[in-house]
Amino acid sequence: MTETPLGFWGLPLALAGGALRVSAPYLFVSLGECLTEKSGRINLGQEGTLIMGAMSGYGVSYLSGSAWLGVLAAGCVGVVFGGLHAWLCSSRRVNDVAVGIALMLLGIGLAFFLGKPLIQPTAPRLSAIELGSWSHFAPVRAALEINALLLWGVAAAFAMRFFFQRTRWGLLVRIVGEDADAARAMGYDANRVRFLATAAGGFFAGVGGSFLSLYYPGSWSEGLSSGQGLMAVALVIFARWDPVRCLWASLLFGGAGAIGPALQSIGIIGGYNLYATAPYVFTLVIMVATSSARRTIAGQPAELTVAR
Amino acid sequence: MSVRPVRAPHTTTRRRAPPPVLEVEGLSKRFGKFQALDGVSLRAEPGSVHALLGENGAGKSTLVKCIMGYHQADGGHMRLAGEQLAPKSPREAQALGIGMVYQHFTLVPNMTVCENLVLARATLPLVVDWPKEHAALTSFLTRMPFKIDLDATVRSLSAGEKQKIEILKQLYLESRIVILDEPTSVLTPAEADEVLSMLHGMARAGDISIIIITHKFREVTQFADEVTVLRRGRGVGRGRVGELTTGAMAEMMMGGAIPAEAKGPAAGAAGDVRLGITDLQAADDVGVPALRGVTLHVRAGEIVGIAAIAGNGQEELVEVLAGQRPRSSGLVQISGASFEARRDEMRLRRVRCLPEEPLRNACVATMTVAENMAFRTFDESRYTVLGWLVSQKAISREAVKLVAEYGIRAPSIHTPIGKLSGGNVQRSVLARELEGEVDVLIAANPCMGLDFAAVAEIHARIRTARDRGAAVLLVSADLDEIFALATRILVMSEGRIAFETPIEGAEPAVLGKYMAGHGAHDL
Amino acid sequence: MTAGSPQTNPTPAIGAHTRAAGGEWVARLAVGTESILVPVAGIAVSFALFGVFVALAGANVLDVYYQMYRGAFGSWFSFQNTLLRAAPLTLTALCTALPAQLGLVIIGGEGALVLGALGAVVAAHTLEGSSSWAVLLGMGVAACAVGGTWIGMQGALRTLRGVNETISSLLLNYIAIGIFKHLVEGPMRDPASLNKPSTRPIGEANALGSIPGMDVHWGLVYGVIGCMVAYVLMRRTTFGFAAKMIGGNPRAALLSGLPVHRIIIVACALAGAAAGLAGMEEVAAVHGTANASLIVGYGYTGVLVAFLARQHPLGILPVSVLLGGIGASGGLLQRTEHLPDATVNVLQGILFIVILASETLRGRFNILTPPIQKTQRPAAAAPPAAA
Repeated sequence: MTETPLGFWGLPLALAGGALRVSAPYLFVSLGECLTEKSGRINLGQEGTLIMGAMSGYGVSYLSGSAWLGVLAAGCVGVVFGGLHAWLCSSRRVNDVAVGIALMLLGIGLAFFLGKPLIQPTAPRLSAIELGSWSHFAPVRAALEINALLLWGVAAAFAMRFFFQRTRWGLLVRIVGEDADAARAMGYDANRVRFLATAAGGFFAGVGGSFLSLYYPGSWSEGLSSGQGLMAVALVIFARWDPVRCLWASLLFGGAGAIGPALQSIGIIGGYNLYATAPYVFTLVIMVATSSARRTIAGQPAELTVAR
Repeated sequence: MSVRPVRAPHTTTRRRAPPPVLEVEGLSKRFGKFQALDGVSLRAEPGSVHALLGENGAGKSTLVKCIMGYHQADGGHMRLAGEQLAPKSPREAQALGIGMVYQHFTLVPNMTVCENLVLARATLPLVVDWPKEHAALTSFLTRMPFKIDLDATVRSLSAGEKQKIEILKQLYLESRIVILDEPTSVLTPAEADEVLSMLHGMARAGDISIIIITHKFREVTQFADEVTVLRRGRGVGRGRVGELTTGAMAEMMMGGAIPAEAKGPAAGAAGDVRLGITDLQAADDVGVPALRGVTLHVRAGEIVGIAAIAGNGQEELVEVLAGQRPRSSGLVQISGASFEARRDEMRLRRVRCLPEEPLRNACVATMTVAENMAFRTFDESRYTVLGWLVSQKAISREAVKLVAEYGIRAPSIHTPIGKLSGGNVQRSVLARELEGEVDVLIAANPCMGLDFAAVAEIHARIRTARDRGAAVLLVSADLDEIFALATRILVMSEGRIAFETPIEGAEPAVLGKYMAGHGAHDL
Repeated sequence: MTAGSPQTNPTPAIGAHTRAAGGEWVARLAVGTESILVPVAGIAVSFALFGVFVALAGANVLDVYYQMYRGAFGSWFSFQNTLLRAAPLTLTALCTALPAQLGLVIIGGEGALVLGALGAVVAAHTLEGSSSWAVLLGMGVAACAVGGTWIGMQGALRTLRGVNETISSLLLNYIAIGIFKHLVEGPMRDPASLNKPSTRPIGEANALGSIPGMDVHWGLVYGVIGCMVAYVLMRRTTFGFAAKMIGGNPRAALLSGLPVHRIIIVACALAGAAAGLAGMEEVAAVHGTANASLIVGYGYTGVLVAFLARQHPLGILPVSVLLGGIGASGGLLQRTEHLPDATVNVLQGILFIVILASETLRGRFNILTPPIQKTQRPAAAAPPAAA
C-alpha cells in the first residue's frame, strides 16, 4: 500500500487494527457462551445464532433504516435461538452437543433462506469512532477505527464479571453450573436458570453476528462467518470462564484472524489459504495445551462436560 | 433484606420459644409401581432427639424428603405446630424452619465456605456485599463450638469438616427442626461422638428438635430420646429409647432377629505374598497427590482390610489397582510380576475387582445382564465363533447358570442391568468377578446401601473366596464390615498407610484415631 | 451354592428366565418397533413443520411436496440422481456413526473427505501408467489412509489428551479445507484449469465406472458394503463388544482391562477411512479431478444421516437415500417453486432437531414395554427415594 513511511511497523499495525476490528464478534459470542457455560451447559449452536443474528440485523436495519435497531433485532433473534437450545436440552436423554450442531445447521440454513433477498441491497451500517484522528498516517488511522459496539462489549465484559461475583442472579448461575443438586437442595430450579442463561447467551451471540453484517465486513453474504461462533467455545475455555479474560482472549483471536489480511496488506499474498487457517490452528493448539485427559481445568464449572 | 443476627444456642440471655411440634400422619408415597412409604406416622416433640431407624431401603430418606418438600406425598398429612404442612420445595421448608443435613453434601465444591453459607439463605440481596457478609459470619462463628476457615474452598475440606459446615449452616439459617441423614457415616467414631453430643445438648437446651436417620443402634441408644422404626416403607414400631431394648428395636427393624453373620471356619495360615504394593503414588482428578507412597502386601488366604474415611486416598488406590487411574510412581506386583492392569495380565494372574458403586464403575447400565456378566470373558475362545465373532448363545448360557447360582432376580437375562435393584446389580458383578479361579480380589465398599441379607450373602462369598486361597484386599468405610471380615487391618490416612494391626486385639477407638489422622501425636 | 438366609430367593431365577422368555421376545419386538416408529414419526413431523414453513414463505405446500417427490423418486432419472447423492453420504455418515458407538461425537467427515480426495489424486498421479485397476486400488488405499489418519488423530487427541472431539473435528474441518484449497490452487494446480483451479485430471481410463444397467457409479456399492461391514464389526465382533463397553461406561471398560486408547483410535481411523473413501469416489466417479466442487457439505449431511439413523450402520442406508432424495429435489424446487436452494438446508435442520427431540420419547411408551415380572423384588435403591 502507498504512503507507508512506517515500513516495518506496517505489519504489527495491521495486526493490531485487525484485532480491534475483528475481535468484536469473538467478544460478544464468547461472553454469551461464557454465561451459558457458567450455568453448566455448552451451546455449540452459537455459530447458527451468530449467522441468524447477522442476517436479521442486516434485514431489520435495511427495513427500518436504523443500524442500531438492527443490532437489537439481532439480539432478540439470538434470544429465540438460545431459548430453543435450552428448551431442547432440558429434556432428559437429549444430547446437548448434538442439539448444538443441529441448531448450527438450522440457523445457517434458515439465515441463507431468509436472507436471499438481502444480498443485493445495502443497509445502513454502524458508524465508526475514529480514535486515531490525531495521526497523519492513514494506516494508523485505519487501525484505530473502532466501533461503538466494541466499547459496549468491553463494558459488558467487566459488568459480567461483577455480575458473577456480586449479584444474586450471577451467583445463582454459578451455583447451578457448579452443582445442580446443591442448587436444587437450596430450592432453585436448575433448568429454569439454565434456560435464562442460555437465552441471554444467545442475545450476545446475535449481537456479535450483527457486528459482522453491519460493520465489518459490513454486508450480508453466505460466506460471512468463518466459524467465530465455534471458536468462541474454545475461547471461553482458554479464558477459564472469566469474562474479562474473554476480552483479552478475543483480542488475541482477532489478531490471529487478521494475520491473513494483514500479510496481504503489506504485500504477501501467497499462501493466503493457509494463513486463513491461523485462527483455527491457534484455537486447536490452545485446546490441546489446556486439556488434560485426567484433570479438570481450573475454573471449569463442574456441571459442564466440555473437556472430560 | 438484612440478616437477623443469630443468637448463640447456649449463650442466650433470653430463652427462645421452644421449637414447634412436627407431626406426620399416615404418609404415603409411591414412585411408579414402587410404594416407598405406606401410612407412616411420626411425632417429633419440641427439643427432643428423634431417631428414624431402619435398614437400607426402608423408606427413611423418602420420609424426610417429603417433610422437606423435596417430594410431595400422595397420601396422609403433616402438621407443624398444629398448622398444615405441605412444602412444595426445600426452600419453603427452610423458610418454615425445617432444615436438613443431607448424606451427600449440598455444598458447592468450587466455592468457599463463606459463599456457600451466604448462598444458602432463603433471601439474598440483589447485590451481595461480601465484606459485610464475611464480617457477620465471623462474628456468628465466634459463638459456635466449631471453628472453620471461611475462605477455604469446600473441595479442599475433609468429609468431617464438610459435615460440620452443613450443621453450622442449619444453625446459621436458624432452623428449628434439623433433620440429619446418616450424619456419622463419614466421621470417625470420635468426631461422631463430638457432633452428636453437641446436637444433643442443643436439643436439651430447647433450641432445636432433631430427627436423625440412622441404622446404628449405638447412636440410637446413646443420643436419641425417641425412635420410630421403619421397615419396607411402613412404620412398624415406635417408643421411647429408654423403654426399648436393642433386641426389640432389631426385631422391629428386621421383622425378626438380625441374622448373625455365620463367620464360618477361621482362616487358615496365610500363604505367599500375592499382591505387593511398593511406594505407590498417584494424583487425584485435580492433580493433587492422593496416594503419597502406599506400601502393603496381601498374602494368599488372608483378607486385608483397609479402614479409612472418605477422601484419604483409598478410592484412588482401588482405581489404580483396577486400571482406572494411572500411577505416577511406585510398583504394583502380583505374585512378584509387575502388574499394569491390562486385560491379559488380569486373565493370567486371575485378578478380579469388586469396586464400589457397581453401576458407575463396573457395569454398563444399558447393556443386558448377560452381556455385563461377560465383560471378562467375551473374547475367550469358548465364547466366540472363529475367534472374533461374539457368540450370544454362549454368553446367554453362562449368564443363566450364574443367575441361578447367585440368586439374581431380574425379569430376564436380557434386561438392561441398570433396571435391576442395587443388590442384584452387585450380585451380578460378584457373580462375574468370582467366576472361576480367583487369585487376587480387590473389593471396595461392596455392601454399601444394601440390606442386611444381601450384606451377609456377599460377606459369605468373600470369605469363601479367601478360603479357596485368594488374596483379598478389602477397602471399607464401615468398621463393622472390616471387623467382620479382615484378618489384618490397615488404616489409611492422607494417602499413606498410617497403622497396621492383626484383627486380634484391634480396637475401634484406636483405629478411629488413626483414621482421623491423629495417630502420630497422641497415644 | 447360594449363601444367605432362605427368605431371600424363594423362586429360582432360572425359572424366572424361562417364564420370561416369551416376555423377552416381546420386549425385543417392542424395542425394535419403537426404534423404527419414533424416527418415522419424527420424519413425518419434520415434513409437517417444513410444510408450515414453506406455506409461510408463500409457496403451495402440496405443490412443494409433490415437486420434492418428483425430484427425488418421480422417475428413474431422478431416482438415480438420488442414489448418486446418497452414495457419498453412506460413507460420511459412517464417519460419525462409528465413533458414536464409543460415545464420541465426531463431525469431521467434511475434512476427511477432501483430504482423502487429495490423497487419491496424488496416488493416481504417482501410479500413472499402471492398469486402471491398480490406479483405483491405489487411490482407494491412499484416500482411506489419509482420511483414517485425519480422524484417528482426533480420536487420539480425545482419548490421550482429553480434547473435546466435537470442537476439534469442526476446527480440523476448516483447517483441512484450508490445506485443500492451498494445494489445489497452488502446488497441485493444473495449469490448464484457468477458471476453476483443479488438480490434473486422473484420466478417463481411471474413472470409476457405472454399475451395469444404471448410471450410478460403483461408489454406491462401496457405501453399501461399508455399512454392512460396519454393522458386523460393531454389533457382532469382539471389537464391537469392547467398543460398546467403552461407549457405555469407560470406567467399566478400564476395569475389565480393555485397551481403551487403542480401540478408540482404531475406530476413529476406520471412520476417517470411510469418509476418505467417499472423497476418492467423488474424484474417480464424478469429477475426475480434485477441486472446490468437492466441498458441498457431504460431510455435514453425513452427520445428519448418522443421527437420523440413530447411529445404526444399517439404518444409514435408507436414511442416505432419503437425504439424497431431499438434496436431489432441491434443484427442481428452485426451478418450479422459486424457492432458494437453502430451503433444503432448512428441512435438514428441522429433521435434525425433531429427531434429537424425539430421543426423550424413547422408553416412555409403556404400552410397548412388558410389565416387570412379579418375581422381582421391589428395587431397594432404584427410585430416587433411597439414600
